[in-house]
Amino acid sequence: MRFGKILVKTGMRIPLIAWSIAVIYPVIWMVLGAFKSNGEIFASPWALPKSFSFDNFVTAWTDFNIGSSFLNSIFVTMLGTVLCLVFSLPTSYAIERIRFRGSKVLFNVYLSAMMIPMVLGWIPLFFLLMKLHMLNSLWGLGVVYAVTQIPFSVFILTSFMGTVPKELEESAAIDGLSPYGILFKIVTPLVLTGIITVSIMNAITFWNEYFMALIFLQSDDQYTLGVAMDLMNQKAQYTNAWGALFAGLTIAVIPIMIVYGIFQRHIVKGMTEGAVKG
Amino acid sequence: MMQSKNQKYMFLLFCLAPTFIVFAIFTVYPLLNGLYLSFFDWSGMSGTKDFIGWDNYKQLLKDPIIPKTIWHDYFLVVTKVVGIMVLSTYFAVALTQLRIKEAPFYRIVFFFPNIMSVVIIGILWTFIYNPDLGIVNSGLKAIGLGSWAEPWLGSPDWALASLVLPSVWAGIGLFMLMLMGGIMNVPKNLYEAADIDGAGSWQQFWRVTVPLVWPQIKTSILYIVITTLNGSFIIVQVMTEGGPNNATQVMGSYLYQQAFKQFHFGYGATIGVMILILSLATVLILQFLLRKEKVEY
Repeated sequence: MRFGKILVKTGMRIPLIAWSIAVIYPVIWMVLGAFKSNGEIFASPWALPKSFSFDNFVTAWTDFNIGSSFLNSIFVTMLGTVLCLVFSLPTSYAIERIRFRGSKVLFNVYLSAMMIPMVLGWIPLFFLLMKLHMLNSLWGLGVVYAVTQIPFSVFILTSFMGTVPKELEESAAIDGLSPYGILFKIVTPLVLTGIITVSIMNAITFWNEYFMALIFLQSDDQYTLGVAMDLMNQKAQYTNAWGALFAGLTIAVIPIMIVYGIFQRHIVKGMTEGAVKG
Repeated sequence: MMQSKNQKYMFLLFCLAPTFIVFAIFTVYPLLNGLYLSFFDWSGMSGTKDFIGWDNYKQLLKDPIIPKTIWHDYFLVVTKVVGIMVLSTYFAVALTQLRIKEAPFYRIVFFFPNIMSVVIIGILWTFIYNPDLGIVNSGLKAIGLGSWAEPWLGSPDWALASLVLPSVWAGIGLFMLMLMGGIMNVPKNLYEAADIDGAGSWQQFWRVTVPLVWPQIKTSILYIVITTLNGSFIIVQVMTEGGPNNATQVMGSYLYQQAFKQFHFGYGATIGVMILILSLATVLILQFLLRKEKVEY
């Protein structure tokens, strides 16, 4: 019986191990490819690089504009994350903690926006941004990013607001603190975990976004990493610059790996909670 | 509370108004305007915008590409739901029930592709499928199955199916986590009772785990369906751009090509309306099909 159990446990491990390899191996293959010359990639796709040279990284960073796109992505990601928080935090507080008619309706409006395919809205959005002189602008893209994540952020933040004890707010009000003071001095520090969770989730979304950037950005000095990588991929098909492309991919993944390493718990929590209720 | 009514309204306005205004401008208005545009013939900024009534919709019904895109989208929906749900359920059960020491390792690794950009995943998998230097073909050759090698993404027969694997690869982690959350909330004594009644692990899975985790399963399926219908075009755009010969064209990629490449903005909007209607209808039908009495425990 004991032996049988061990056998079952080992058997059930096989798919787990297989899937781990399926996830890890392509990523390692990509990183190793970044150090290989074109000849090596063609001759032996499976082998380790002969020497670890950083030439491909230099080529990707400078010749393929990955460097400037990297900085553009950082800018848009930070702008979008901060703006989104500025918009969603007070709204979440009001919806969760202040009694007013229509709070449920408002919440449901934001909630249903998470289900609607935004692709229909992209055509008018394109022309709207053009009218507002926000086309081909990282500022414009940052604003649009922030707004697209308002529903998700309101959704997650309201659930965190629900955990703040009401008594704290009441006693602060009795001490003469204004509602603004209560929101920013009492409630905000108490929902810091929620703020961090939402901000990381949003930052990852913005860092990874590709299609709106493809539509709304038009000159390569404004491109974010997603668009730049896509362009680089198309160029690499003609020039066979595979090593440089691998290097570009690696550069784009490194920040994600670092953030995941540090905030793994927050990300997992945000993903699961956001998804379960959505 | 000491504050006056007036103060309360000012504060409410401060909290809600700016957010709702930007939301109205950048989300509600574009969606409504998209509906409106679907009744126009319009090539963009300089061209005239002509009201043509239902003509775009009539064109949509006659367009031979449209049924293909719909079929391709639903092919992806079904294969992704099956692939992701089977694997993530298996992993979730294995990681919660087996008491494996290295479970956190699997959890961290399996979730990692979920936070990678679709562009990166798409380009990486384009390499993996590359006929000359990709892992798939060189792997097949290495184990003596070289005759099975295909130019995966370039083959009209295989291109669409080849898009399923990267999507499943990138999707498993999230749903595994959701299901793990559900399974960990199932009271232990239910399994003990089932054990005493002589139920095997297979029976326990179907009779205890599945009914109690049904809300998570239902949410996961709906989530996969919505994200696929509304977002499958991203991986398509990166990996195949709808080709070869429309073999992987999906609704969203066709919208993008009609509007932003061919400058048929009105027709693009009509395709957008179709996507909206199809995804809302699909979600409603699924919600009806997947409804189940809530299990109390």
